[in-house]
Amino acid sequence: MSREPTPPDQGEPGAPSRPGLRERWGRRPPGVGFWVGSALLAVYLAAALSALFVFRTSPSALPRNLAWVPPYAPLGPSLNHPFGVLPGFGVDLFQALWQATPWDLALVAGILAIDAGMGCLLGAVAGFNEGGLLDGIITFVGDSFAVIPAFLFVVIVFAGLTAVAAGSVGLPLFVVVFGLILWPTTARTVRERARAVAHQPFVEAARASGASPGRILLRHILPNSLGPVLAQLPIDIAPIFFVLAAFPWYYNCQAPGGPPASPLGGGSYLVPSLPPFSPLPSASFPEWGYLLGFGTCEGVSQPGSFDYWWMYVFPLLAIVVFGIAVGLVCDGLERWRVGDR
Amino acid sequence: MITAGERQSPAPRSSPRRPWSGFVRYAVRRVLILPAQLLFVLLVLYVAIEVPSTFAHNAPESGAGYLLGFAQSVVNDFTGNWGQADILSFHLPWTVVYAYYIPTSVQLALFALPIAAAIAYPVSLLAGWSRRPAYDAPARLLTLLGALLPVFVVGTLVLNAVFFSYLGWFQDLPSQGLIPSSSWFLDRGGYPSWILYDAVTRPTGFPLIDALLHHAWQVAAISLTKTLIQASVVAIAYVAIFFRHARSIVRSESGQGHIVGARSRGVAERTLLWRHAARTAAPSFLLVFALTIPEYLVVQFAVEAAFVDQAGFGYLTFAEVTQGSLAPLEPLVFLLALLVLSWTLVVDLLARAIDPRELNAR
Repeated sequence: MSREPTPPDQGEPGAPSRPGLRERWGRRPPGVGFWVGSALLAVYLAAALSALFVFRTSPSALPRNLAWVPPYAPLGPSLNHPFGVLPGFGVDLFQALWQATPWDLALVAGILAIDAGMGCLLGAVAGFNEGGLLDGIITFVGDSFAVIPAFLFVVIVFAGLTAVAAGSVGLPLFVVVFGLILWPTTARTVRERARAVAHQPFVEAARASGASPGRILLRHILPNSLGPVLAQLPIDIAPIFFVLAAFPWYYNCQAPGGPPASPLGGGSYLVPSLPPFSPLPSASFPEWGYLLGFGTCEGVSQPGSFDYWWMYVFPLLAIVVFGIAVGLVCDGLERWRVGDR
Repeated sequence: MITAGERQSPAPRSSPRRPWSGFVRYAVRRVLILPAQLLFVLLVLYVAIEVPSTFAHNAPESGAGYLLGFAQSVVNDFTGNWGQADILSFHLPWTVVYAYYIPTSVQLALFALPIAAAIAYPVSLLAGWSRRPAYDAPARLLTLLGALLPVFVVGTLVLNAVFFSYLGWFQDLPSQGLIPSSSWFLDRGGYPSWILYDAVTRPTGFPLIDALLHHAWQVAAISLTKTLIQASVVAIAYVAIFFRHARSIVRSESGQGHIVGARSRGVAERTLLWRHAARTAAPSFLLVFALTIPEYLVVQFAVEAAFVDQAGFGYLTFAEVTQGSLAPLEPLVFLLALLVLSWTLVVDLLARAIDPRELNAR
């Protein structure tokens, strides 16, 4: 059986043996950003694991303390409440964000896994099969899906399923739906790279040496087309939290016909409520986006005032720092992959 | 000049050169595929909205019934038979409601898109071209930050920080939408007759143009200020989305043969960037511009909701969705799909028409 040529990313052609992972790692370290991102992700992971233990009795409901609910004055950051208190919920914000960490990490991991898995596979198949039937079908379906704005698509699908299930259809379905919504963008970028890779000499050589199309796809096209995915994944985190935060914000704060929006300190307060078609199972569910949406609504209730800044700044930081950590890790992996430092 | 001898021996006719045939063939194929894509989108909507509702009412139909229902919904969508709106203060056909709401959003987009393009184009080119981490790394970090910050939060904070102080000059508090607030008008004797209920203006529907047409200079100044501030918020978020795609395009352009060749001949980096790379990257930039329009729409919708643009399409969309009414979503998504697909088609053809590689091939 003839020996297949080695693609450039996996060693020099004609080299006696391909360098191992450890050797390549030592030769092309991924840079400081990668380690900073990894350290941040490790902190998030530790927080998630510890939250599973600390909040094991009631992991999906924020404990409400009526002593923090208005008309009492909102409590800002202090030693007792490092991130302050979210008065409408009546919860310590640090505790709420901590409790939300395992849910959000699982949510993002699930969505990105579906997004990257489908996007890579279908994009690589389309690029390898350029001009063929499979390419036509995948491109057509992907392009057609991509014209519907993600947040409307989520609402539509959830509305339909809620009608059938007669109740909340929950976070697992949200993960699947969002993953299915995000894959076309990933597939499109992977397809472009796969098209270019498919015409590289090492692929032609592999074809000439008798390798099957499936083997060429999995061994040569797919590994060499992953670069765009690493650039795309951090960006794909943004719409997830946008959808989770925007509707609670709008519904609690702006919506005509939504719950009454009353300013803080005026003797009344916002009662957390979920908009229709929400993927969250209850109005007291710990989730970063939901806390951000509600915190923005509640914290910016006084015109021209930033007195209640902690209510949206800390949920925002939880999301942004997490996104930047994923971005740094992905950038580091991409640099390591192509050796561009 | 052609001599007689040459005239007697005509050139071989093996490869007649038809300069635009490839482009025309591509354009025809793209135009033909558009209705098919639109039908597919409608099918997805039908399956997601109508089919579950029949199950919810315990009245699942036969295959033929669903097919007939889908055909009817397609006919309704294309003929504008979208039903009656019962939302906000309207009890009108949806077509009329949408006609009221679209101009305000178009006014915002006409300001936001050029601002976004003016920022995104040079920033992406420079960041993609430069290999110096001192420039590229902060640019990447900032754009990632821009993408991760939900635009409604940025919008709300800008509204709170800038509007309430800056627009105090116009005595326009609280600040809402693209025209002055109701209190501003009430302090001056009430709304003029050319502003209808829910801040819809007449005769064109574009607040700025209508204010100018009615010589309402102060209203026009406030409308322009508000539009510019909202457009800047939209641009901040959209530049972040655009940048990630555009940067990688410039990266790959910088390694192209003609660039490497020109560099080896001693052409200055600035010339290489602005005369060569910028030109060859322009079609790809246009395509990114087209493909990210759905994301742009999401950004603009959220900003319109944050700034309470009562006559804006985004405000209407959020209002519909949070009221839990599904009926208006189908025509809404149909309109958006039509808009996005048409826009993508135009930009796609334009990109192909100005692509230097295509031009050289003709």
